[in-house]
Amino acid sequence: MDKPSGAGFRRARQRAGNLLTPYALLIPAAAMFAVFIIYPLYRQFNISFYDWHIFPGASNPGVGLTNFRAMFKDPAVRTAAVNTLLFVVITVPIQIVLGLAAAAILTDRLPGRGLLRGLIFIPVVTSWVVVAYIFAYIFAEQGGLANAFLSLFASHPVHTDWLAHRWTGEAVIWIVSIWKGIGWSFIMFLAALDGVPRTLLEASRVDGAREGSVWRHVVLPSIRPTMAFVLVLLLIGASQVWIQVFLLTGGGPYGSTQVLLGVAYQQAFSFFNFSYAGAIASVMALVVLVFSIVQIRLLRRGQVR
Amino acid sequence: MQPAKSRLRTRIKPAGRFAVAAAVVLAGSVAGITGIAASSASAKTAKPITLQFWSTYDLKDKEESTFVNVVIKKFEQENPGIKVDASVYLYADLLPKFLAASAAGDPPDLMRSDIQWVPQLASEGVIKNVGSVPGFSAIEAATLPGPLATTRVATGEAPGYYAFPDDTNTQALFWNKALFAAAGISGPPKTLSQMYADAATLTNASKQQYGLGVDGTDMWNMAPYIWSAGGGFTNAKYNSATGVMNSSKTVGAVTSLVNLLKAGDIGSDFEGGASAVSGEEGFPKGEYAMYIDGPWAVDTYKADNPMPAYGIAPFPKGPGGSVSTVGGEDIVVASGGHHITAAEKFAEFLDSPFAQEAMAAQGDMSTETSDAAAEVKTTPYLKVFAQQLETAKVRAVSAGYSQMDSDWSTEMGAILAGKVTVSAGLNTAAAQANGALRGITP
Repeated sequence: MDKPSGAGFRRARQRAGNLLTPYALLIPAAAMFAVFIIYPLYRQFNISFYDWHIFPGASNPGVGLTNFRAMFKDPAVRTAAVNTLLFVVITVPIQIVLGLAAAAILTDRLPGRGLLRGLIFIPVVTSWVVVAYIFAYIFAEQGGLANAFLSLFASHPVHTDWLAHRWTGEAVIWIVSIWKGIGWSFIMFLAALDGVPRTLLEASRVDGAREGSVWRHVVLPSIRPTMAFVLVLLLIGASQVWIQVFLLTGGGPYGSTQVLLGVAYQQAFSFFNFSYAGAIASVMALVVLVFSIVQIRLLRRGQVR
Repeated sequence: MQPAKSRLRTRIKPAGRFAVAAAVVLAGSVAGITGIAASSASAKTAKPITLQFWSTYDLKDKEESTFVNVVIKKFEQENPGIKVDASVYLYADLLPKFLAASAAGDPPDLMRSDIQWVPQLASEGVIKNVGSVPGFSAIEAATLPGPLATTRVATGEAPGYYAFPDDTNTQALFWNKALFAAAGISGPPKTLSQMYADAATLTNASKQQYGLGVDGTDMWNMAPYIWSAGGGFTNAKYNSATGVMNSSKTVGAVTSLVNLLKAGDIGSDFEGGASAVSGEEGFPKGEYAMYIDGPWAVDTYKADNPMPAYGIAPFPKGPGGSVSTVGGEDIVVASGGHHITAAEKFAEFLDSPFAQEAMAAQGDMSTETSDAAAEVKTTPYLKVFAQQLETAKVRAVSAGYSQMDSDWSTEMGAILAGKVTVSAGLNTAAAQANGALRGITP
């Protein structure tokens, strides 16, 4: 049998190196992903089938699907599921539309463009605690800016206790979340719009296409991958809404503004029903996963390649 | 033939031996972290040990500094081999942090726990049954019945005492002397019906003045109104709410409060919400003419300028008597703690007259019968609270209490909003409470 020549061996080694290098570089991220995401997800799903106790070595009898069945009968979960769904349905499209609109406007060379871009993005990096306090003041019953503004148009002073009622409380949560989230989709779309080939835009305009047609037939298909990315990430983020609810209404009054993650947290850390909390979180993860896959597939369909 | 051990050694290569040695060292380190090695080492060499103690002591007044500089200092003087490292956490953070640490196998040795957490922690197995600690029977004999009851978990697989009583408190009626005088009422109400009549008289909507403040729909805040009216929440074994939570007397007690709210005699604190004014906030401003609160409110009002002229009276009597709620904290010893014997020793010390009196001077009422007179002498305003404690009741000592309390509060919200009748709401609450008390997932 012929021994491989020196040059051939080097080429083979180089090919192997080229093949393995990406995997080697992926190892740290993959390891962290496995340890901090995959394993906790697995454990969360796993404990959902047990009457699980946190003390190491404690007896954890199996309970089958009891926790999953209980979810569908639990009024707190029902209310929280409705609130979470409404949050997704209302905040995600608005963030996309407003983020895209802002990006479209600020792609053009306008005076103060940099400042405006910065102002739109600032809420994204502002702490939720700070934001929640500011909005709690804005929507306060006494001396709140929102009531003062509405009083200008009413025949009598408005004293709405926004955060003390379900739907007004929900409205505040949606407004805050949209305001804080627009900056992120704006930045994503800004980068995507910069990547739309100028030649395509100019060609379509030279061909007499109106601005609406240019957007429908050139811009939107060009930014479809970014649209899919933004949509999926916003959906995942919105499904996991909790911190703003916790800070603004605490899930109240009487659990009426509570969301699924809040119920899971309360079940785990207030009531010590870790398995039940695990079941709620598992179903949430599954629903988000399925929706994300469906969305990505739908958005890929007809994509310009 | 060589012994098996030698044969094994000959088969391990140098690199392998290094790995085995490293594993042994690593295992030793892990054992040290988990306390297995530490406890045996401390026994043999009497190396000083440090107990980790977690609490929610108040850092704004002298409560925490007294604990560290007086109580711990004395304990360390008496026990030279033991140091105590005390850490303070926010109330909302303490329980999740303790749970996470217990799950990780590295909890603090002791925690000053809310009394309502004790049965939950016991059901999870993260705290020790301390009933067999040699000094516990003496503590049991010396402790007031109410605070002692908070440490005894009767439900679950291993009933017993799961905590050392630490401090206690209860609520009494705070009344604004100026507002009462202006309304022509000579003194605090002695009966529940008088209280409700006074609340109507004291209400002045134009001044945003309410006769009564009720600080929420949770059991801590509502229990005195329910119990004093003869109603209740659960049976004595804490395993059923049927016939108690939805009894005619409980329905009557809740109906009285609902009627007062409808009449506008109860302030915004009852229904809650972000803009609700708490009793402690509204009372000094004259927004509430009376409300119930614990002894800590006195310190709060000392800081107020000008201080409202107010009195503290026992909760008004109803058909069930003058019954308030037992509050306070217990000391729990972590099952996974590193120094359990030393931790139990420190917990016992916290029940000593020295520690109890030192902390009573900071408003933490003693749990011991013998200290009541002494603490009233040094802190006269505690007299009403000490008197109230004699008839105060404990809420359900059950792992399902938090769930039950949350469900109760939600149903009360529906009742106050007029979505369900009092009777229907309490029937639902009782059914949910039965599940919670029996440890059934919703």
